[in-house]
Amino acid sequence: MTGLRHRAWSAAGNRNTVAVVVLLVLALIYPTIVGSLQLVPVIGDFVPKTDSMVVMVVFTTMAIGLNMVVGYAGLLDLGYVAFYAVGAYTAGWFASQQFSQVSIDFGAAGIPDGLPGIHISMWLVLPVAGALTMLAGTAIGIPTLRLRGDYLAIVTLGFGEIVPQVVRNADNVYGFDLTHGTFGITPIDSLGFGAVGAALGLPESFRQSSDRAQWYFWFAVVILLITVFCSVRLRDSRLGRAWIAIREDETAAAAMGVPLMRTKTWAYAIGAFFGGVAGAFYASFKGGAFPADFYFNISVFLLCMVILGGVGSVWGVILGGMLLSYLNVEGLANIGSTIQATGLAFDPTKYQFGIYGSIIVLMMLFRPAGLIPERRHRVEMEEGVHDTPFYDVQREGTLTDRDGSDD
Amino acid sequence: MTDHLVEVTQLRKEFGGLVATNDIDFTVERGSIVSLIGPNGAGKTTFFNQLTGVYQPTSGSILFDGVEVVGMPPHAITALGIGRTFQNIRLFAQMTALENVLVGMHSCLHGGILGSIFRTPKVRREEAAAREKARELLVYSGLPKRHEEQAGSLPYGDQRRLEVARALATDPKLLLLDEPTAGMNPQETATFIAFVRRVRDEKQLTVLLIEHDMKVVMGVSERCTVLEYGEKIAEGTPAVIQSNERVIEAYLGKGAVG
Amino acid sequence: MLPRLRGARVTDLIGLTLLGLLLIWLAVNFVKGPAAFIDISLIGLTNGTIYGVVALGYTLVYGILQLINFAHGDVFALSGLVASTVIVSVLGLDEGSSALVIIGGLAVTLVVIMVGFSLFNASIERVAYRPLRNAPRLAPLITAVGMSFVVENISLALYGVNYRTVPNLISHSDVIHIGGITYSWSKASVLIIVIPLLVVLSWFVRSTKQGKAMRAVAQDTEASAMMGIDVDHTIAVTFLIAGALAGAAGIVYLMQFNMRFDTGFELGLIAFTAAVLGGIGNLSGAVLGALCIGFIQAFNEGLGWFAPGSDWTRSMVFGILILVLVFRPEGILGEQTPEGA
Repeated sequence: MTGLRHRAWSAAGNRNTVAVVVLLVLALIYPTIVGSLQLVPVIGDFVPKTDSMVVMVVFTTMAIGLNMVVGYAGLLDLGYVAFYAVGAYTAGWFASQQFSQVSIDFGAAGIPDGLPGIHISMWLVLPVAGALTMLAGTAIGIPTLRLRGDYLAIVTLGFGEIVPQVVRNADNVYGFDLTHGTFGITPIDSLGFGAVGAALGLPESFRQSSDRAQWYFWFAVVILLITVFCSVRLRDSRLGRAWIAIREDETAAAAMGVPLMRTKTWAYAIGAFFGGVAGAFYASFKGGAFPADFYFNISVFLLCMVILGGVGSVWGVILGGMLLSYLNVEGLANIGSTIQATGLAFDPTKYQFGIYGSIIVLMMLFRPAGLIPERRHRVEMEEGVHDTPFYDVQREGTLTDRDGSDD
Repeated sequence: MTDHLVEVTQLRKEFGGLVATNDIDFTVERGSIVSLIGPNGAGKTTFFNQLTGVYQPTSGSILFDGVEVVGMPPHAITALGIGRTFQNIRLFAQMTALENVLVGMHSCLHGGILGSIFRTPKVRREEAAAREKARELLVYSGLPKRHEEQAGSLPYGDQRRLEVARALATDPKLLLLDEPTAGMNPQETATFIAFVRRVRDEKQLTVLLIEHDMKVVMGVSERCTVLEYGEKIAEGTPAVIQSNERVIEAYLGKGAVG
Repeated sequence: MLPRLRGARVTDLIGLTLLGLLLIWLAVNFVKGPAAFIDISLIGLTNGTIYGVVALGYTLVYGILQLINFAHGDVFALSGLVASTVIVSVLGLDEGSSALVIIGGLAVTLVVIMVGFSLFNASIERVAYRPLRNAPRLAPLITAVGMSFVVENISLALYGVNYRTVPNLISHSDVIHIGGITYSWSKASVLIIVIPLLVVLSWFVRSTKQGKAMRAVAQDTEASAMMGIDVDHTIAVTFLIAGALAGAAGIVYLMQFNMRFDTGFELGLIAFTAAVLGGIGNLSGAVLGALCIGFIQAFNEGLGWFAPGSDWTRSMVFGILILVLVFRPEGILGEQTPEGA
């Protein structure tokens, strides 16, 4: 019995390994073959450019991060965009000319000597951005995570709205320009191999090299892989079990010794970490952090990826993330030009959020577990769970509470 | 002087205007099996919920093993050594039976974030040991197989057994069982009673159970306490309780007496 | 027990300090310019009243389904846009129309829009929420977020990205004019339309059989079902009422401001905050909370002494929401069901 199961397990493990290797090889050769793919008749028009692929992979990484919060721990976060913003602005602070009062260069790639501003190597800025975002996530989480699910959703939404407004308005904090207001911080330094890499024939700075998109794409894939790896490892750990236990029944989880606040805060903080890293990476790729990038729709867009792919399912979220972000960066425009070529004046990009909204509604109604359901979630979404929240501000201390549990 | 594992004094819980537990004094002797009985709505589960920190008492004190637990969050109380089951089974239905038990071990394990991501040898060993122990507990509780099945798909009796296994996984000194034999047939109930005694003896536990079935109460418990409308109306050995007039009245209505 | 008590005292203390600072700020501003202060208060009253009507829609639905109906704000915006079509294109009202025509036309618009959008709102419930009645708690909430985008894009498809407005049908001449204080008929019209609606709503919930059923379902759905109340029907009625209120709010908003497809998002959030502030599920609370938000917004944007200004309005509204949820999640009035109405 056990032997059989072991074999089944390792077979699944092997399948995953094969899938990962195939995808990695595809990612490696994609920048080379994309040109020929685009020449294929009919479908060629729909093949995403390497540039677009960077954006797709970055957003998928964020979706994986959000999935840890929503999918594993069952905490509906409608303000994930705030983490993206914190990550992007961290990159802006530590790797641009924003603070031109000083001139610090610490291993930054492709920066001329004496350039004003703080220029820390982007490789360092990525984890720093993750860590700062994690702190922000914890700070947001501690007062709010005791709230029940729908209240938490609205409070996270609130933070998602406050953060961009703060960055928009923080260009004059008692005379100090923290965020450069509506103009955003630009240019943000590029990733690159620096002088050492240049000596080996690798690009010193990705942005200045002719293969900018290709290098960013490869490293975006690396970051996605690391995120997926951590996400899977955590899911199968003591902490991951506690998250899922909380998602299924808070009261029972607490009674089994799971500290609710701490465990939820970890979900939030770790989800924030990856949002921050992805945000900083994206800021470096785009070369800037702009307040207009961080609006509520992005949070919903990310949520839609998670729901489309399958709440809690890593493979599902990757699929959902790639699919939707493809539609977002290129797909809808491509489809639009195809439609317009037939003479119809319809522009799907204008209605993209209506489309995402419809996807959310249709998925919840007809396939709530997503395209690739998580093994356990499938049953839960179809049959419903016993999920009376533990901190129930509505009913705690009311008669119904007592009636519900005592007879 | 007897050794009390639990010492409850003047425990009171009000919901709005309703008094769910009315200044209850209550003790549980270490190593004993005690039943809490009473008609529907007598405040038994509310009492349990205060013991485990799910509800904050309005006033009163609960000493567990000499420690005041009122005001502690539920997980800290569990870590002190109170494990429980629920009246309406509350398993993590979409986790496997094994995972359910592993969640019960949460406070006994130490795997941190980085350790889990890198699967350090220490975490690996701890996980392996935990799984081994979880399987043993499952077998011990009468679930020799189906460890990898989703808890929600197990038959009812197995779910009850799994709840006990999960509660035992928290390594409790005191085991709280909330109507553990509800829905069991007489055969299963008898097995269960034997099991509770065995657990108590082999794991040196103290057991406090809420029970409706008088046969179970008489069969398993050494003492019982009777609640009615949130008040303690009687206390003593099952035999004494059985002949107590107020208890009979509470259970069968006024007309039944004399 | 002790640390808990002390904890509670600390949060109370912080809450009271914040409240104290707020009062001091208001007092200083009042002393500095009493006329401007009252003027601004009247703006707050007008806006707060509009928010209140939208907030009622949130609170009614939440009270009965424990669902934040995200789409409500967008239903409100769409209703306002459709009202602009009815007023301008169908009825052809403008400043030149006679008073009788304007009043009659507005009354017709009000009825048409309220009826139309109550049906629209109820059909959203029927299509998107009812099938999820037994799903996990977050499922309908996520669906509501999706629905909000769907409705918003319906507005976008029908009305494009431009702001819509209606002619000044109601005279801007003053009802009162004392010193520097003015109060125009156009502002007063908000109260003239809204107050009767609130009276009718209150009567409906308190005194009719259907209203009593709503209160029963809000308090305990299962028990109500067992007592023979048709729960689905009652929920549908709740959505009908909420939709009618959204329609009414759309019209009064349109009379004051211009609006476009995404007006409902921000206003919806403000209104929801108001509902939480007042104590979600509580009808009077929603109106009270909305008035508070209306005043706070008007003071923030209008007062001269140490007011952060409109750049910060959204942050302030959400700041209030977060503070309320953290310090007093049951809201000002702290009731859970429409009983408190």
